[in-house]
Amino acid sequence: MAALTSEQKTEAAEVKKERVDKVDFKMVTFSLAGKEYGIDIMSVKEIAKAGRFTYVPNAAPFVRGVYNLRGEIISVIDLRTFFHLPAERKDDEALESLLILRVGDHVFGVIVDLIDKVVGISSAAIQPPHPIFGDINVKYIKGIVENGGKLYIILDVERIFAPEREEERAAEEAAPADMAAPRAPVAAPASSSLATAEAASGGAIDVAADFIRETLGALRGFHVTGLNEEWFRARYEVWKGERKGGDVQLRELADAEAFLEGFLSPCSGRLWDEDYADAFIAALPEITTKNINVWNPGCGKGYESWSLACALKRRYADARVKVWANDSDLLAISMAPNMIFPENGVPAWMEGFMTKGRNGLSFSQVIRDSVFFEFHDVLNSSPLPPLDVVVARDLLSFLAPTDQVRLLGDFAEKLKPAGILVLGANERPGKGWSAVSSGAVTAYRKE
Amino acid sequence: MRVEYINPFVEAAFNVLREVLQSDVRRGELYLKSTSMPVMGVAAIVGLAGDVEGRVLFDMDKPTALKIASSMNGEELSVMDDLVKATITELANMITAQAVTKLHDLGFRFDLTPPAIFTGENMEVSDADVEALIVPMETVQGKIEINVAIRERA
Repeated sequence: MAALTSEQKTEAAEVKKERVDKVDFKMVTFSLAGKEYGIDIMSVKEIAKAGRFTYVPNAAPFVRGVYNLRGEIISVIDLRTFFHLPAERKDDEALESLLILRVGDHVFGVIVDLIDKVVGISSAAIQPPHPIFGDINVKYIKGIVENGGKLYIILDVERIFAPEREEERAAEEAAPADMAAPRAPVAAPASSSLATAEAASGGAIDVAADFIRETLGALRGFHVTGLNEEWFRARYEVWKGERKGGDVQLRELADAEAFLEGFLSPCSGRLWDEDYADAFIAALPEITTKNINVWNPGCGKGYESWSLACALKRRYADARVKVWANDSDLLAISMAPNMIFPENGVPAWMEGFMTKGRNGLSFSQVIRDSVFFEFHDVLNSSPLPPLDVVVARDLLSFLAPTDQVRLLGDFAEKLKPAGILVLGANERPGKGWSAVSSGAVTAYRKE
Repeated sequence: MRVEYINPFVEAAFNVLREVLQSDVRRGELYLKSTSMPVMGVAAIVGLAGDVEGRVLFDMDKPTALKIASSMNGEELSVMDDLVKATITELANMITAQAVTKLHDLGFRFDLTPPAIFTGENMEVSDADVEALIVPMETVQGKIEINVAIRERA
């Protein structure tokens, strides 16, 4: 899992060259008795090295025992014994390579000889298994695929481990093939630049990074795609350094939070300071129309929307600015319309937009009239007029990859031709957008 | 839906239901929904116009409607007759009217249309692409779902 060997690197380069088709299936590859196998990455929860399994009396011979995976007791199956392959019996203290799989609600570990890497392939390239495959019963094989000069046998873990009884399985086998148990979901079709970027990175980065991607999604709802790939790679290198010799994988929410530290844009969750506001204003285009329509999806507690409204008022003093601020977190947004700040508790540049009340500072009527806070889920349709500015900082990264693509499309559709999009400091919209400003805040215009 | 609109509807529903049913009412978790949704059996609808456009839908199953109507009329009603329908319509009208009054005090101008009631089996409401706020209310008589969809007039 450390650095890739030079052999693997050249191999990865070859793989990339060959990959003219779209990559829509990723598998974790490993070896059993010298042969290469793959398992759909959607079924793999994590990888681990473990040993000293607790023996379970009277269990099937391929069950090596049970193992305590951070408090969860999982059973451990030796895939080599299961498939009647020769297995080198290590002494009890030795660590085995373990793939932790999730099939339905069940989590369990399987022992393999060696875990290799994550390989991205096109599902169209998967050939059906041939009945004369010797070592492993054909019904457990999803198909076979050639990649980088090697043949990988893709195992169908759902069929191997699905918690159903033998009779049912036999009955199912009698049914036509396409009626059989649903296959593991294949990654979303790579229909867009974002998804392709995500998939294309498949073979090149090491397997631990891929697991961090998966766990970030599971623990924190953060999805690594072309949108934030650049940041992720840089962060991963730093992270490896921080966790020197230790465990790089993310075990719990706190780890995921620690990994994502530094991702959020400047002034998140508070009013913008003068430097950031100036940088934002510098990125704004010349707008001559009287009405300026702005969308701020994912506004959270509303600090961003208020700052935005003030910055826009500062830049376009004569125009009528309207900011639609949306969030699907009712608790966060319900406090947003009536914010009150202590005196001296706001950045100096904003004081001109505030009025003093009995309880402290609140926004002046002009600013109040310009911001609409709406309890709204951006994944539902958003009825908005043509927009001049969209500010969606650090929102897309926390949406599923397909939703990211959809929402970016929504932005492109709703923006006027000269309108600009501002994303989080570590997010890039990818193909179809070009940067139109340089500075601390980057604005994008659709091409 | 604007944040300012939410509370008036929730409060009005809570107050009116507690007053007319003279019993405990519990509010469930609010959420957003955008897909078509099945109607439980009895649905009263009130349209909104003015600064905004939209509608409020009160959805409940038939036994709940009968029990609520019985409770409001102070007599046992067991069939879905005109009296029951009129009572549920009136309940929808009361709640919406109180919410609109509260909104008026906050400076928002809303008008309502006369309520209408739908009853039947296996009904479904689908207003394409309209996001609705769902306010579930648990009463002793059963569950009422208040489905509010409002958008600003562009």
